[in-house]
Amino acid sequence: MPDYAIDIRNVGKRYAAHVAVRDLSLQVPRGSVYGLLGPNGAGKTTTIRMILNIIVPDTGTISLFGQPHLTSGATDRIGYLPEERGLYKKMQVRRVLRFLAELKGVPGKVAEQRIEEWLERFQLKTPEKDWGLAKIDELSRGMQQKVQFIGTLLHDPDLVILDEPFSGLDPINAQALKDTIVELKARGKTVIFSTHLMDNAERLCDAVCIIAHGDKVLDGMVSDVKASAGTRTVALDVGGEHRASIAAILADRALVGRVDDQNRFYEIELAAGADPQQLLRRVYETGAPIHRFELMQPSLHQIFLEKVGATGVEEGMSGQG
Amino acid sequence: MARVDMRKLGVVFKREYLERVRSKWFLIVTLLGPVFFGTITVLPTVIAARTQSSTDMANIAIIDASGMGMGDRIAAALKQAYPLSPNADVRAVAADAVPREEDRALLQVQHKELRGYLVLDSSTVAGRSAHYAGRNAGSLGDVGALGAIVRQQVLAQRLTNEGLDANRVARLTGVRLDLVTEKVGDQGREKGSGLGAVAVGYLIAFLLYMMIIIYGQMILRGVMEEKTTRVAEVVVSSVSTDTLLAGKVLGVGAVALTQVLAWLGLSFAMATYLVPMLLTRLAGPGAAGGPTSAAAVMAALPSLSLGSGLAMLGFFLLGFIFYSSLFAAVGAMVNSQEDAQQAAMPVMLLLVSSIVFMTPILTQPNSSFARVMTVIPFSAPILMPMRMILVSVPWYEVAGSLVGVGLAALVAIWLSARIYRVGLLMYGKRPSFAELARWVRYAG
Repeated sequence: MPDYAIDIRNVGKRYAAHVAVRDLSLQVPRGSVYGLLGPNGAGKTTTIRMILNIIVPDTGTISLFGQPHLTSGATDRIGYLPEERGLYKKMQVRRVLRFLAELKGVPGKVAEQRIEEWLERFQLKTPEKDWGLAKIDELSRGMQQKVQFIGTLLHDPDLVILDEPFSGLDPINAQALKDTIVELKARGKTVIFSTHLMDNAERLCDAVCIIAHGDKVLDGMVSDVKASAGTRTVALDVGGEHRASIAAILADRALVGRVDDQNRFYEIELAAGADPQQLLRRVYETGAPIHRFELMQPSLHQIFLEKVGATGVEEGMSGQG
Repeated sequence: MARVDMRKLGVVFKREYLERVRSKWFLIVTLLGPVFFGTITVLPTVIAARTQSSTDMANIAIIDASGMGMGDRIAAALKQAYPLSPNADVRAVAADAVPREEDRALLQVQHKELRGYLVLDSSTVAGRSAHYAGRNAGSLGDVGALGAIVRQQVLAQRLTNEGLDANRVARLTGVRLDLVTEKVGDQGREKGSGLGAVAVGYLIAFLLYMMIIIYGQMILRGVMEEKTTRVAEVVVSSVSTDTLLAGKVLGVGAVALTQVLAWLGLSFAMATYLVPMLLTRLAGPGAAGGPTSAAAVMAALPSLSLGSGLAMLGFFLLGFIFYSSLFAAVGAMVNSQEDAQQAAMPVMLLLVSSIVFMTPILTQPNSSFARVMTVIPFSAPILMPMRMILVSVPWYEVAGSLVGVGLAALVAIWLSARIYRVGLLMYGKRPSFAELARWVRYAG
């Protein structure tokens, strides 16, 4: 049996009016970076809350590192960063962190030592200023995010779950977050994050699961997902002045399914059964100079579009998952 | 409550307790509490003693239609009781002239030449009624004193009419009597005067009411803060909502208990050291009775057996758990301060209805109404301790009431835990009663 950090089997959860998650099964390999992708209201947060035992599923089982997740102390191995972030406003930073660590079973003395290391690492404690003594509401938004992130990792969890971690981050902090995720993986930890930003997922994830409207659309290793989607996409650049000469070819529905104008090149999705070599021949025959003709693996973004549909994405772009 | 993890309960408890006890406000309120309570208990007594009766009480008109000089008797008695006051103006008139005379006196009262006027007629002589109108007719002290004098003089008049010698009448009716009271319990006489018990009973009920309302609302705000700042989501990923709720209620309860104990300790210290010192200062050095009057105050307090003390602690703890878990449920339901005020109304009404019935029970602690109110779970935690101080309540009534409050607390915990579990992560509008019922059913 493969080694899974999380093994979800046939889990369902319904509320009075709607089904949040329907018969969901997914496996997260230990030591991987796993992306949970889907538009708004797809059931990502519900799934995460069920893993954390915040919500009890109606049906199915969830295992953490081979044990039922209801086992006492099982969720202590998880570090969780919720999408909606917040801390006790009137509490001192050190005390908040110590409280969060102790809730996960870290002894007070050990927690104190780790807090010092983390505060220094995130520049919350410098020779000039020790923010650890300040109250949460005296901190800037960015600093509060750092404190929350420290709180997630303070008990050295084997599994880190981040719900929409990139939302609201500036480029510098987003980069720092990516570095941290890669470092966690290097230390053998498992990282799951939910997102609707496909670029992040494609760059970072070993494996993904796409869910929409409570159903799993597809899952697997990113390389497998892309390979199975096939190379139906062509990047074509004929230079600006010759664009008009190939317009007729692009309009041929027997050959071209869909065209996405990327300004410097066309991203062409071939029609079903069409041969890319035929497209190349037709363009060559027009006499237009071919600067680029590349058979591309589809991006996760395109796979997502294809599987979920454009409406789902627009909703997903608007915010919460 | 199968899902309570004792270690995590301890962590939550510690945070709730320490964060509150460490705050500036807790320190200020704890230190100033006894001063405040001392002031609100002593001040009314002092004011009442000072305003027992006005010094110019005799500055009235006595419209005497009795036809036997009763007005003069009363004026003389007033003169004796209030030597500093201007003399009463006796106006002997015929019965049919009373209305005209009243109009004149009324104008004089309006123009502040008189404090009031007293009408004596045949029904006064018959021992039925006399009529007094005046600016001080609302003062219990004044009216009481005047009534006593009129009653005494009517008696004297009637004795004289029966043919008794005027000197003997004066000697016989000149009675000034103080009623000394003492409370009797199962073990016989109890230390302390009945009036001391009333004061202490009142204070205890008020204190319980105040602690429950202040700290219950503190729990409400705490839950609401966790919900609105979204800390709840992080916390419940580490600890079950049952554990969180229990830790919160117990932690805040411990803060309340700490405060009460600190108040008791400080009050005791004040009564033993500070009050005698002040009394000696005020009475001047060498004045006898300074320090002993403090001892007299202590002696006037009702005695309390260990059993009753423990029962009262039980009422406080169970009552606190009952109300604060309801307040916690309200906190989990709402997203804003305004919503909280409205949603807390039903709980507040339960609390306020207990305090509204305090006075009837204070005056008639053994009535069947008092018996019922001290057994009903929502009012028992506040009213039973008060009743126990006023009269000796049979042990089975106390035990039954305690069990009732305990059961009610269990129901409240069960209900609140369910509302709390669902509500804590539910953002949006306040739930209707139908939705609440659904929450209670769904929370597995």
